[in-house]
Amino acid sequence: MTETENPVHPQATATRPAGRPGEGATYRRLELKSLGELAALVVLVAVFTALNPGSFATAVNLQTILDQAAIPLIVGVGATLVILMGSIDLSVEGVMGAAGMTFVLLSANSRDTVDLGLWAIPVALAVGVALGLLSGLVHTRLKVPSFIATLGVWFVGLGTATVLFGEAAIPFLAEGSLQSWPSGRTLGLPNSFVLAAVVVLLGVAVGRFTRLGRHAYAIGDDEEIARDNGVRVDRYKLLVFLVAGGCSALAGVLASLQLGAGSATVGIGTLFLTIAAVVIGGTSLGGGKGGILRTALGVLLLTVLNNGLILSGVSPNIQSGVSGAVLILAIVAAAWPHRSRLRIVK
Amino acid sequence: MTRTPEDTTLEQRTTAPATAAAGPSRRRLGPAAVWQTVGPLAVFVALFALVSALNPAFLGGGLRILALQATTILLVALGQAMVLHVGSIDLSNAAMAILSAIVLAMTLGPLAAAAPLVCIALMTAVGAVNGALVAYAQVPSFALTLGTLGILQAAALVVSDATTVYVTANREVLAPLFGTAMVGLPAGFWVAVVLAVLLWVLLRSTRLGQALTAVGLNETGALFSGLRTRRLKVLAFALSGFLAGVAGVMIIAQAGAASSFGLGSDLLLPGIAAAIVGGTAITGGVTNPIGVVFGALTVALIPIAAAAVGVTPQAQSLVYGAAIMVAVALTMTRRNRGVVK
Repeated sequence: MTETENPVHPQATATRPAGRPGEGATYRRLELKSLGELAALVVLVAVFTALNPGSFATAVNLQTILDQAAIPLIVGVGATLVILMGSIDLSVEGVMGAAGMTFVLLSANSRDTVDLGLWAIPVALAVGVALGLLSGLVHTRLKVPSFIATLGVWFVGLGTATVLFGEAAIPFLAEGSLQSWPSGRTLGLPNSFVLAAVVVLLGVAVGRFTRLGRHAYAIGDDEEIARDNGVRVDRYKLLVFLVAGGCSALAGVLASLQLGAGSATVGIGTLFLTIAAVVIGGTSLGGGKGGILRTALGVLLLTVLNNGLILSGVSPNIQSGVSGAVLILAIVAAAWPHRSRLRIVK
Repeated sequence: MTRTPEDTTLEQRTTAPATAAAGPSRRRLGPAAVWQTVGPLAVFVALFALVSALNPAFLGGGLRILALQATTILLVALGQAMVLHVGSIDLSNAAMAILSAIVLAMTLGPLAAAAPLVCIALMTAVGAVNGALVAYAQVPSFALTLGTLGILQAAALVVSDATTVYVTANREVLAPLFGTAMVGLPAGFWVAVVLAVLLWVLLRSTRLGQALTAVGLNETGALFSGLRTRRLKVLAFALSGFLAGVAGVMIIAQAGAASSFGLGSDLLLPGIAAAIVGGTAITGGVTNPIGVVFGALTVALIPIAAAAVGVTPQAQSLVYGAAIMVAVALTMTRRNRGVVK
């Protein structure tokens, strides 16, 4: 989770803020750097179109891909902010389970529990934010590394979902309620993707223009310097974990809608996919470098890859292997030009 | 897992010859240092006493079951601790254990007693490849081993054809591991404990171990002191692979079968938790393999304790998560204070 470059020169700490390029230059450099991922996406699309002439490049399949990308896109917004800060959020799947179960049990369902209608969504989001609060408090107050704090909250979320599930029959969402919303279309795009796009754009705006986002970058770049410059590090860390919890909860609600039923393990596989996408997108696990749009590109890359492989008849068993190999290729390619005997990478 | 330049310079000042750091700190034992040594043991004993008080029947065969369940967690946690010791992390070692178990289940028939050795050697090689990529391609271990995790999971599914693989013959080769007991605990558990003691000796008393510690405490300093830091990192990852291979052997010895979703498929997080609860600093350089033994026992005891105090099965993972956070907050090594990521 760490990347400390040139710690050989202690004075670098002092000179770094002055040596930082201006905002405009940073954006331009980011865009140039993203060309690799964009090129990879274009190549993938071209290859899969050639391999599956009738099935890949169709409107129906495009909608499938966008629908599949929605959940990792939403989770990716929170995950990117946390990783930018130099921390990590492993609680994604647990939070998705707890928020999803809350949502299902508070909507019209086959168990006839309470029906709050649309109000079930804010309650589910509140559950996610509360779990984010727990992660953030354990991390900032007890000084437990975020890795372990969010690992604990993963199980707490999963346990909460399992307790809510109880021993009764599976709660299915009632027909005709919100259930059909994610697969509906707005302007020809799946509603789930439209929702994800809105969340991504909001995330980009938060990352670029708000104090929360800028402080996340500052904390990730160098926490000590951020603190010395008056950033209330603990408060902003806590806030970022709240946002991440909210994003995971929203993804949990969406996943439950897509599934049409309540399940504690509704988020299974999301963590691996999202973190791989964040890293492939080029956000540094050490913090301070990267962005939400990069993650979105990473998500699309992995989703297109998985979709194309299935269409090409590759066994689903090797899918995680392909994602893993792509992840390794991407990070090795990104790190190769920077190799130096004195560089410290953990 | 993170070292900022600030930390590095601070340590350069305080523990300049990092290899000598163990000496003085041992002589003046403050309360923090004492707690660092006995904390994992104390947490385990307290939890064990709680369970025994609430459920006296547990004292009978409970410890034996606990040791049985702790064995694989302990092996994976020891490997994780070695990688954490050089400041990296290995997310792939639990997947290695499963792959090792699956390969062993398929080869134990034809190869008999040679099969476990082949599996352990194979996983050591996989670990070394991980380490070589981290050290020579200079990529973050978290991302790299996440990728390896995906590849190993796929390999396990393909090799086993996504089903459970049963040992067809020669199961008696591994029978002594969990068929015989020493001091009331299965022999397999003692094998893991012996490995922990060997690692403790390695870290405490050998030049190699001190070099590993130096890499974990201050990699730049270690490099400038002429240590071959890249080879040491490869060694740490290879050790993790070796121990995962042994864990795979233990899975087969216990269950006689393996699959990518069966016994041992969820070892990664308990393994990391056991290493941290055992007092391993996530920032590197501070590891006590003996503490990890108690860390693994604690992590294995938590679900048993939850059941003993009457927690419903549904709430088990809730209690597990909360207990991990509390245990880590209590036993975490805070020597590398400063920035907590």
